[in-house]
Amino acid sequence: MNDRTAAQAPFRVLVVDDDPDMVGFLSHMLQREGMLVEEAGDGGAALVRVMSSPPDLILLDVMLPGASGFDVCRQLKGDEATALIPIVLVTALEDSESRVRGIEAGADDFLSKPVKREELLARVKTLRRLHDTRKELESRRLAAEVQRKEAVRKAFSRYISPRLADRIAEAAGGSGDPFQGRAQRTSLVALFADLRGFTRLTEQNEVGAVVSMLNEYFAVLTEAAYQHDGTIFNMAGDSLLVGFNVPFPQPDAPERAWRTALEMVGRFAPVAAAWRERHGLALGVGVGICAGDAIIGNVGSAHYANYTIIGNPVNTAARLMQMAAAGEVLLCGPLYERIRDLLPAGRVEGRGDVTLRGRSEPMPVFAVNVMREQA
Amino acid sequence: MTDDHSAIVITVAKDLADLIPVFFKNRQKELETLRNALSAGDYDQLRQLGHRMKGVGDSYGFAKVSEIGKRVEDGARSADQPGIAACIGEYAEYLARVQVVYE
Repeated sequence: MNDRTAAQAPFRVLVVDDDPDMVGFLSHMLQREGMLVEEAGDGGAALVRVMSSPPDLILLDVMLPGASGFDVCRQLKGDEATALIPIVLVTALEDSESRVRGIEAGADDFLSKPVKREELLARVKTLRRLHDTRKELESRRLAAEVQRKEAVRKAFSRYISPRLADRIAEAAGGSGDPFQGRAQRTSLVALFADLRGFTRLTEQNEVGAVVSMLNEYFAVLTEAAYQHDGTIFNMAGDSLLVGFNVPFPQPDAPERAWRTALEMVGRFAPVAAAWRERHGLALGVGVGICAGDAIIGNVGSAHYANYTIIGNPVNTAARLMQMAAAGEVLLCGPLYERIRDLLPAGRVEGRGDVTLRGRSEPMPVFAVNVMREQA
Repeated sequence: MTDDHSAIVITVAKDLADLIPVFFKNRQKELETLRNALSAGDYDQLRQLGHRMKGVGDSYGFAKVSEIGKRVEDGARSADQPGIAACIGEYAEYLARVQVVYE
């Protein structure tokens, strides 16, 4: 046995014969070669053994009590789970009819009785080499598959939240729909952020410079969102939609959303300062956050769909974002009630009941000037 | 082993030494079963026993066992009672005379 095979799991051979002396002889020869031998005295016992713990090779006598070797061979070769296990039929030397029947039953090789040890070992070693090669190829294929999935996951992670990418990768391994197919209503917190002064930025700068600045801006915002395990659902123009408590439960979703907003505004401050110095632009992040029931699911056609969140809290967060000044976070009433203890005293301004565009009922709105707080 | 017959010396690979005692114990049982099957005229069993002897005998290095087994198997197919009886006699004598040397 060489070092390579010694390091591997032992090669397992199932010897099926009703003659204990024949089993003893074959087992002895194979064990001397470092193989692990299991024994079965009839066809039924052999099938049970193979199903419960598939061996790497089967030495199968033709004349067995009950189901014959041909029957066992045919059954194993007809089953997808066991078809690839090599089977050596052990037949009488002069019995050419048995060999023909064996070929028809799917046998991989034949061994003559009486058994010559040289012939036995030569055949078994050849099949073992084939087995090792097949295993090696299989493990390389698996490694390549893992690598490919990881590459896909990494590529996905640039476009959607890493946690969503992981969920897709997991679902791709099975047959399930990564997003459960059906849309469902759920309680969530929606956070919209955008760049105040974005229009001026696009007017005063070359396309290349705008893209580069937007990348810098979105890098800051996405890092803030991921730091608090938010899921990014949409990025359009200069706005970003982040959801909490979706699609993964987060009992502290309101607190996470608030901290994300703080992080976004705070992290962007030095970037804004650098831009002001370099380009003479006064820019800042405005954020709107709202909590409530909304729908999460796939929206689109069979060819193109968005996994997104839709409903009142999302629309309201968008309106609040539009109303927010640079460095300001606007909160809807229910969310404010939930996180009011976290808000900096003296920095919260009630805006009263505001009727937002698209809503019939006025709702209380609260503004927090984060920049003033941090300053 | 009887006094009026010389030993038949068979050389067997040393690594099989542990298996040989059980092998001969089973051959003695087999001899008895052959006799009983012939008395009962059970040619199907005789054919199976002959087939088994044919396969196992020379695997261990005892070509004579395989040879007698083949004749028993063939004889059973044609219900050759006297032929099988002669085979059984020959088998008994062989088992009595055989002596194993390991190398």
